[in-house]
Amino acid sequence: MSAALRITNLVKRFGGLVATDNLSFDVEDGQSVGLIGPNGAGKTTVFAQIMGEHRQTSGSIELYGREISSDSTPERIRRGVSRTYQVPRPFTDMNVLENIRVGLMPNNIWQMITAKPRYQQETEIALSVGFTETDLQKTPGELAMGDLRKLEMARTIATGTKVMLLDEVFAGLTVAEIAQITVLIQQMRQDGMTFLIVSHDLKALEPLVDKVIAINYGSKIAEGSFNEVLNDEAVRSSYLGAA
Amino acid sequence: MQIIIQGLLLSGLYALIAMGFTLIFSVGRVLNLAYGAYLLIGGYVYFTISQTLGVPKLIGLFIAAIVGCMVGLLKYRLLVKPLKGNHVAVEISTLILAVVLQAGVVFIYGDSSKILLPIVAGVTQVAGASVTYNLLAATMASWTILIGLYFFVRKTHVGRAMQAVSMDTRGASISGVDPDKINMFTWGLSGALGATAGVFFASYTQLSPSMWVAPLIISVAVVIVGGIGSIIGTLIVAHIVGFMEVLAVAVIAPELRGVFTMLLIIGVLVVRPQGLFGREEL
Amino acid sequence: MNLRLTHFLMWLAFIALMFAIPEFVSKGTLRTLIFANFLAIFAISWDVLSGRTGYISFGHPFLIGIGAYTSAILTKRFDVPIELAIPAAVAMTMVGGVVVFLPALRIKGSYFALVTLAFMELMYQLVQVIRPDLTGGTRGMSGVQTLTRGAVNGYYLSVSLMLAVALSMWLLMRTQLGTALSAVGMNEESVRGSGLSVTKLKLFAFLTSAFVAGLGGAFYVHYLGSIAPRALFDINFLFTIIVAALIGGASTIIGPVIGAFFLTFLLEYLRPYLPGAERYFIYGMIALLLYMYEPKGLIAIFSKGWQRLRGGAGSEQSSAS
Repeated sequence: MSAALRITNLVKRFGGLVATDNLSFDVEDGQSVGLIGPNGAGKTTVFAQIMGEHRQTSGSIELYGREISSDSTPERIRRGVSRTYQVPRPFTDMNVLENIRVGLMPNNIWQMITAKPRYQQETEIALSVGFTETDLQKTPGELAMGDLRKLEMARTIATGTKVMLLDEVFAGLTVAEIAQITVLIQQMRQDGMTFLIVSHDLKALEPLVDKVIAINYGSKIAEGSFNEVLNDEAVRSSYLGAA
Repeated sequence: MQIIIQGLLLSGLYALIAMGFTLIFSVGRVLNLAYGAYLLIGGYVYFTISQTLGVPKLIGLFIAAIVGCMVGLLKYRLLVKPLKGNHVAVEISTLILAVVLQAGVVFIYGDSSKILLPIVAGVTQVAGASVTYNLLAATMASWTILIGLYFFVRKTHVGRAMQAVSMDTRGASISGVDPDKINMFTWGLSGALGATAGVFFASYTQLSPSMWVAPLIISVAVVIVGGIGSIIGTLIVAHIVGFMEVLAVAVIAPELRGVFTMLLIIGVLVVRPQGLFGREEL
Repeated sequence: MNLRLTHFLMWLAFIALMFAIPEFVSKGTLRTLIFANFLAIFAISWDVLSGRTGYISFGHPFLIGIGAYTSAILTKRFDVPIELAIPAAVAMTMVGGVVVFLPALRIKGSYFALVTLAFMELMYQLVQVIRPDLTGGTRGMSGVQTLTRGAVNGYYLSVSLMLAVALSMWLLMRTQLGTALSAVGMNEESVRGSGLSVTKLKLFAFLTSAFVAGLGGAFYVHYLGSIAPRALFDINFLFTIIVAALIGGASTIIGPVIGAFFLTFLLEYLRPYLPGAERYFIYGMIALLLYMYEPKGLIAIFSKGWQRLRGGAGSEQSSAS
């Protein structure tokens, strides 16, 4: 059985700068993996390459055994991988349901015209990430940061994703909001979602991951359980060096 | 030879026209589509003061610049500031304003175009090309103003503050520069420059209520092609545009003079949106 | 599609009103109304593209001009029957729409607006120079075959066309497609991140807008019977289109129609008091103040007023969105 997401010998150069340096790792189906590293280690660049926002210089990205490197971003999403952003990017003049509706839409002009919105499914997804009935008609301007993160996750779920990439999902949240998101991710893990999570907040990350990969200067410096990686010499010095 | 001389003269005028537009785009990050209206106002104010009332020309030019400056300040206070941050709204409202001002000019002066007497009369021959003193004066004034501006921006406190705001508004305000004041100043300066350019432009072509469109297009071309807001880039591209026009007129056909400018704008924007010379600070 | 009975009734009332108008007004007013109808079509075309996706077109006369010139040249110079010339003109305008679409793949915002402005100026200069035997050069063309005679017939034709365009665009924009296009206007990256092809959506918006512009342009030239480059590729004309869409209420389809009628009648009612160009001064000022006061347009002012009248009890949006 091939991995849900398999990165092999991934290299990304920006001019002379090597942002991703021969990186390889697997995320198994249903697994939740943390991706950590000091500032500027190249975590977000890895996400951008998986999603096709940046094209890698060399190496391969496979999703359930299928190479996706030559697919466009929407095609990759259709194949089952999506990401969220550190700074949420909602549709500002649309309410929660309409935001989710965009994620549910078929990527086909004719079907967009003929098919009716799936109101029930929109509502189910919104409620499943923890929105209340009264939230459904709110626009992003009326929502708190934690709710905006939920909205991003909801729209990502709506695309039918199987592998979810979360970028700094805890940044800028209150303690209560972190607790909410943690519960939400736990729930989704039980339902079989595969995760790759970037977070600076290691304490919040700990209960959520089966395995952690540490990178620095774009290459992998450690991989293993949360405690193994955190006690790794190279990882410790990379964090100290960056600080 | 004639082409070179005419090209140089025309380019000098274009550089002057584009300068005020560049300043606003660079410091305020806003496309001022009413920029052409400064030229319109400058030209007509000068016409009233000097040609109708008979006040000395230099004073007329000076008053035109002051009126332009005031219009610039008003525009910033009444239009740009209330619409803060919404670029599309600023562009659309300045476009509407330009049309309003054009109608105002028609209201006061009538629809027909007027001939503006040369600011400096006379013609001379340079290497077989006839050169009017008027265009020569415009070019010289243009160079003087550009050089003055260059040193103003580099050497004075206000100029450096303008540079700072053009690079990073937030950063500038943290380090004690008031972006609002600097913006205000830039809009005033841009208005004065535009009005001055308008006097020369009108004396080169003629005075008409729709004379604001062509200089706006030229300014846009220069700013777009040169890359945002660099004085040197503006100067170079003004020469590219000027020479292209002179060449098109001389070699191909007079009717095509603007076509290459348009093609250049479209081409550069599509191929290299950051402009030929990239983004520099002022 | 979320259609309600009230929508149906409002459209019915609107259509009935528009068709009853010739019974009550003079021929002169009718001519004004014909212009308002065409302006509404152009404003809808602008709205479908710029109001929705946020790609502000400053070159809409470019598209309208392609439609008008193609149909005029085909009928006048090549004796093509008008029933074939108009579809050909629409097809040609859609090709023009693709041309305008290409820069939108790379640039947006102010830069895109400027490119479209350059397209318009380019077209203005080119039609005067290239093949003046076809285009009529600087003076344009006159004696183009007209479709109708008299103001009443002209009115019925233009109002039917306008209503057909408005209704079909309104229906189209109420589907999920309308939502997706609005989403493009709000955040392109997020649309892509939702698994939708932004390129496809944008191309559709450009093509639809060009379709409407070409249709309007072709019918317009066969109503006027003449065409002149200076009147067509003109910043004032562009200004009227954009302002009609904006002060009516962008991204609503009905807004641009309201805006077009408002502007046309404003101009007409100022005529007795201000016969000359000062009309445009006042008219521009009113447009500017309205836009500054409520960038979402008259339709937002109406619906706010309506909600206040109902004591803010109903949270239901007006028919617009």
